Amino acid sequence: MGELAKAFEIPIGPVHPALKEPIRFTFRVEGERIVGVDIKPGFAHRGIEFMGLHRNLVQVLYLAERICGICSISHPVALVQAVENAAGIEVPPRAQYIRVIVAELERIHSHLLWAGVAAHELGFDTLLHLTWKVRERVLDILEELTGNRVNYAIPIYGGVRRDITPEQYPRVQEMIRYYRGLFEELCDRFLNDASVEARTRDVGVLEPDEAEALCAVGPTARASGLRKDVRQDWPYLVYGDLGIKAITPEDYGTEPRGDVYDRIVVRLLEVAQSIDIIERCLEEMPEGEITFIPKIPALLAQLKKAEGEGIGRHEAPRGEVIHYVRLEAGKEEPVVWKVKAPTYSNLMSWYPMFEDQEIADIPIVAASIDPCMCCMDRVHLVRGGREELVWKEELLKLSREKTRKMALGNG
Amino acid sequence: MRAQEVLAALKEALGDGFRDGEIRTRTVGVKSPQTIEEVWGRIDRGVLLPAVRALKDLGPLHISIISGADVGEEIELLYHFAVGFGTEGGEVMVTLKLTIPKSDPVVPSLCEVLPGAETTEREKIEFLGVRFEGIPDSRHLFLPEDMEVHPWRKDEPELAGLVKRKVKWEERDG
Repeated sequence: MGELAKAFEIPIGPVHPALKEPIRFTFRVEGERIVGVDIKPGFAHRGIEFMGLHRNLVQVLYLAERICGICSISHPVALVQAVENAAGIEVPPRAQYIRVIVAELERIHSHLLWAGVAAHELGFDTLLHLTWKVRERVLDILEELTGNRVNYAIPIYGGVRRDITPEQYPRVQEMIRYYRGLFEELCDRFLNDASVEARTRDVGVLEPDEAEALCAVGPTARASGLRKDVRQDWPYLVYGDLGIKAITPEDYGTEPRGDVYDRIVVRLLEVAQSIDIIERCLEEMPEGEITFIPKIPALLAQLKKAEGEGIGRHEAPRGEVIHYVRLEAGKEEPVVWKVKAPTYSNLMSWYPMFEDQEIADIPIVAASIDPCMCCMDRVHLVRGGREELVWKEELLKLSREKTRKMALGNG
Repeated sequence: MRAQEVLAALKEALGDGFRDGEIRTRTVGVKSPQTIEEVWGRIDRGVLLPAVRALKDLGPLHISIISGADVGEEIELLYHFAVGFGTEGGEVMVTLKLTIPKSDPVVPSLCEVLPGAETTEREKIEFLGVRFEGIPDSRHLFLPEDMEVHPWRKDEPELAGLVKRKVKWEERDG
């Protein structure tokens, strides 16, 4: 019997089981339980920092915008702050408000996207379609304000590239009313659904002390009850004026358990929070200039003269983004540019989360930190030395069957 | 927490091992402007662990990232910490710089004090060729295991070949 009951290794990826991004997990399983995991990222490493060290700062901004398709304002916001701190550039008040508005619109679209993906992983595709249908509204507003659904190209060193015109205000306010009207229904669909609860409660748990030791950030840390939010802890732009409070499941009236369910709670409440922030920004935003130096050649000349170093941070939808930049006088390109995305910090959190979970829970636990890498086509399963290919559909089927069994079990 | 407290704690714990300590301030916000303070300083690699322990004693400690640069004969590492991580308006960013010679690029690993530092330390192994003493896992993270070139080093002759490689069958830039 001894040789039969031992652990097996299941490599999953490099094409990802949950999201459309590459990473490789090697799970050690005993029966259906996961007893260990090894994680290997890097399949989408494009050497963006290296490229940035050979380009001028405006070109670097283009690169930063393209680090991530979802957080396409988070990286530029952190980068421009780092360069502004290094070069001593002031940002006009109106530009600061516009940056905040676009960043919060991005948070709404990112959290709704994630909620849809989570529903899909559980086999609840009706909810996926509902969530993504309502997400279109914020994408329309982003397109209206910036010209693009992704890669908004809004921040520039010392300001923003586009103003929000008075005719656009009513459309944004209409969007705010639309989401307020929907919010209760959305919460009800996710949080009061028996099968969602059965599949996510006490699944993929991250204890608060683990979250702190492993330096978890964003909703992953907040779902474990840690009130950490760069917007609250390290005021930047106008976030200090707005009095942002980090959201944990306590704000929903439940004790934080640090499971996948709590991560849904935190992200849904943050959608409501972002809506409030946008509304306040529209009310409080002063008139005025939106850039420090409007002409790009003049800006580049000023940046070429700058000497210094600076840090820029931003609370992206997934957590803390930090950029470090060092400039030398006479050089157009940064001498040092270091980027940290939130998933980088949350990578280590996966180890305790996967511990003692079932294989069918892999997709939802992997998705629960909202990882940002890149696409899953198939899973390579090694079972007792005999290799089999398991396609993504099969893994999803496993996950969905579990939901069905639970639903039937609950009557 | 105030930056002065952090600076004082570092000075007390490290003595001469902590140099060029300064507080950089700037004002943020529009309606109710606030002053943000950052602590910057230079340390020797020998006092890295005591420095991190001293910071950890001040409150929840978060390592944002380790930045690094090739500065000629030496490698400069910049440890960016958030001290008091998760305290409302009270988080202080601390950047500790240390330089190590390329001939002996070894620093102690922080993982024992701060397990979350492993990801960023593994990245420095592959990108700068730094060795971390006591790191639980020193395999490559983002780059292939057999890649021996360190992309952020400026003295890597093979690097130009990797960046500007020809596509052989077309005999032009790839």
